[in-house]
Amino acid sequence: MKSVLRRVFWRLLASLAVCWGAATLTFAALHATSKDPALTILGQLGSVPTPEVLAHARHEYGFDQPLLVQYGRYLAGIARGDLGESWRLRIPVTQAIGEQAGATAQLAFFGAALAVLLAIIGAVLTADRAHWVRGLSSGTELVLHSIPTFVLGILLLLVFSFKLRWLPSTGSEGWKTLILPIVTLAIPIATSLSQVLRQELEHILEQPFIIMARARGLSEIRVRLGHALRHTLTPLITLSGYIFANLLGGAVIIENLFSRQGIGRLMTNAVNGNDLPMVLGITLLAALIYVLINSFVDVLNTIAVPRTRHCE
Amino acid sequence: MSKTVFSSLSSGRIGGLVALLMLTLAACGDPPETAAPPETPAATANASGAPLSGKHGDGILVDGILSYPASDYHETEAGKPGGVLRATTATDPGSLDIHAISHGTIQWLGRFLFDCLVFQDEEGKTSPWLAKSWEISPDGKTYTFHLRDDVTFSNGEKFNAEAVLVNLEHMRDPATKSPLAAAYIAPYEKGRVVDEYTFEATLREPYTPFLDVLAQSWLGMIAPRQIREDPRSIVEHPIGTGPFVLERYVRDQGASFVRRNDYHWAPPVVRHEGPAYLERIQLDFVPEAIIRHSSLVSGQYDLTFDTPPQHATDIRGDGQLKIHSRVRKGNPMAVLSFNTERPPFDDVRVRRAIAHAIDREGLAWITGFGEYLPKADYLAANSRYYDPAFRNVLAYDVELANRLLDEAGWRERDAEGYRVKDGRRLGATQLVNEAVSTSRLPIAVRTDLGKIGFDLKIQMLTTPQILERRYSPDGNYETFAGGYWHTNTPDALYIYYHSNSITTPKLIGQNTSRLRDPLLDEWLGAARRTTDTATLKELYRKAQERLTELVPGVTAFESQQTVSYRAKVHVPVFDTSHNVPFITSIWIDPEAR
Repeated sequence: MKSVLRRVFWRLLASLAVCWGAATLTFAALHATSKDPALTILGQLGSVPTPEVLAHARHEYGFDQPLLVQYGRYLAGIARGDLGESWRLRIPVTQAIGEQAGATAQLAFFGAALAVLLAIIGAVLTADRAHWVRGLSSGTELVLHSIPTFVLGILLLLVFSFKLRWLPSTGSEGWKTLILPIVTLAIPIATSLSQVLRQELEHILEQPFIIMARARGLSEIRVRLGHALRHTLTPLITLSGYIFANLLGGAVIIENLFSRQGIGRLMTNAVNGNDLPMVLGITLLAALIYVLINSFVDVLNTIAVPRTRHCE
Repeated sequence: MSKTVFSSLSSGRIGGLVALLMLTLAACGDPPETAAPPETPAATANASGAPLSGKHGDGILVDGILSYPASDYHETEAGKPGGVLRATTATDPGSLDIHAISHGTIQWLGRFLFDCLVFQDEEGKTSPWLAKSWEISPDGKTYTFHLRDDVTFSNGEKFNAEAVLVNLEHMRDPATKSPLAAAYIAPYEKGRVVDEYTFEATLREPYTPFLDVLAQSWLGMIAPRQIREDPRSIVEHPIGTGPFVLERYVRDQGASFVRRNDYHWAPPVVRHEGPAYLERIQLDFVPEAIIRHSSLVSGQYDLTFDTPPQHATDIRGDGQLKIHSRVRKGNPMAVLSFNTERPPFDDVRVRRAIAHAIDREGLAWITGFGEYLPKADYLAANSRYYDPAFRNVLAYDVELANRLLDEAGWRERDAEGYRVKDGRRLGATQLVNEAVSTSRLPIAVRTDLGKIGFDLKIQMLTTPQILERRYSPDGNYETFAGGYWHTNTPDALYIYYHSNSITTPKLIGQNTSRLRDPLLDEWLGAARRTTDTATLKELYRKAQERLTELVPGVTAFESQQTVSYRAKVHVPVFDTSHNVPFITSIWIDPEAR
């Protein structure tokens, strides 16, 4: 048990380091491209800021301080949970993220759930089946996986929204607005997951305990669902980091395509508008969630599979 | 102001693919309807590609002067009240504090919530709005406004002289961080409440565009109590005197507005009585061009303020839809802005040669798909005091361009066909903002210039990098891919070309050509000091002529905006300052609601 605790401790420390690294790298990258952020905030094309306004902004945001001081202030702010004020929206970054996080969480949760569901169904139905069934399913998966998300989204919109008019094309409110986005988000994830799951399932279906189960006269469906499937969940847990990365990347495209509010849209606008505090805030959030999920999975595996405890 | 910079994710990249998809889908779906002959702008073109006369979009072009019928700016019959307008636009301005942003959306969105002191009439002259009348002192420095006494903010506060004072202070307060309004009223020195409904503004120097800019949507009136007590709340919950009240604002999603039933102070020029016709407006931010268009076609929305021009032909052929493509006042779209202080552009012959080598019709086509009007001079054709006499001075003429470069001494050619002099190749580097969607323009310009042996290199930079170079006090660049500056006054020329507008260590200015011409300075400066229309006409005529001799940059087409909507919607009136739909007058057929 001691070794588990030690592992958790190191893991947490490493997580902290990853978050700090992400914050620092983003800070450095964005400051390297902009010598005078006040000009970036107020001097965008179509603006003509007066000297007084620029001087005020430099002072208010601390650009008149040395870079190290700005960096120190920034880190101190993070420690207090203060990510600063968005330059574009003129509201606290935490407030902006708070306003948008719910929509993205909803999209991501249902997207992930649908992806896992589809992957499991696909794998259970097609593992160890006739050659042509496997070929057809993995071929379909390959095609679906290769279609860029926005093309898939536009195709779905054209058919189900603009042609058949069953579903709305924009918006974040009501279950109807969620359907096309979550399908678009889930398909690429589901297709790659089901490839992995199918292989794992086929491997397990060859194990002696499955042969035993069959020998006891269990039906094929009970063998697959009741005995084999449980063992394929370990790779699924390990892959959750990959799933999360896909969810976040997908959200950027999907929220823009389906005109949904959310973190992905916030990020796109922040990057295009050179909104440094917002970009930093979202990067930090993404790093934090990523680290949390990975740590969680790691600890879960440590507890569940004793042999990994010695693999430090 | 407000050159709209679309997200790099939108239009361009996705658009092309989508067009392809649409084609394939159309092929396997219903047979495409036979398109009615599109109502393309039929016009007689000349050498510069700029049509002389004819119909252009909504406008009528007579001898190069573009005008819109007077009836586009006032109601000719009363509309029918009621109904909800479902509208889309490309981007969320991010903040609704109109004084603190320069976003182009505010041109029409600002009018939902706010009213201005004055309004322009269809000729661009100043006319009353919240101010009933005004006097200007003989020295041109004191403006006395007599205000309406029956106007209230939606929080119940009275609109009065104190409110005007607080608003002008808010615009110029550095804490507001205004990128635009503060500069527009920069000559404003102090204000005085003479009595409850009389306000006196004192300027440091005479500045006749003062009244014009006060009519712009960014300079509307915000509730003074909100400014004083909780200025940060303006960003999300602004309070104005406008015809609508903000009901809900969800960032990057949409906003809804409800009619103010006690509103009865629309600008007299508009000839609108009482509250707005629409009961509610549901506005959604839809970043993808294809979705904005398709959702309008499929009837999910009634109107889009940002119609992608590539769909204009489809819309013109669709009986269910209407489209308006209208010119913004101010400086038209420039594709090049020369640094006239540095070689090779310190030689006016080189600048002229380049202006003659640009195929404007081609550039207008690849950007506007037939909707945009080619343009070779320096003031928008519907700006007040526009003089069309010089519109062809810099017309497309490759032969002339070559001759000018020969005369300038660039006679020899190198192995790649570019001109050389004393062993140096004729060329320059053009700085292009990678975030701007019109990125095919620089490539087309480069191709045009290659034909006369000029090597125009393109350097893509991020916005901060571009701004740093653009506003470097020493003018650290050769040429920029231009842009446009929309303002409702011919003072646009001062903003772009007066030597006072050159960036210095103390000032950010829009004169990126770094043009210093004593004559031009004198005329543009004098125009700010005079109110006499005959004198103004002459001053701006001379300035426009001079610019075609100085060639500070190359303009290519009028800066235009396109709105489209379903046939049941009526958009009888356009904003005199911004040429966008005027929200108070929009109505919907009761049968089709």
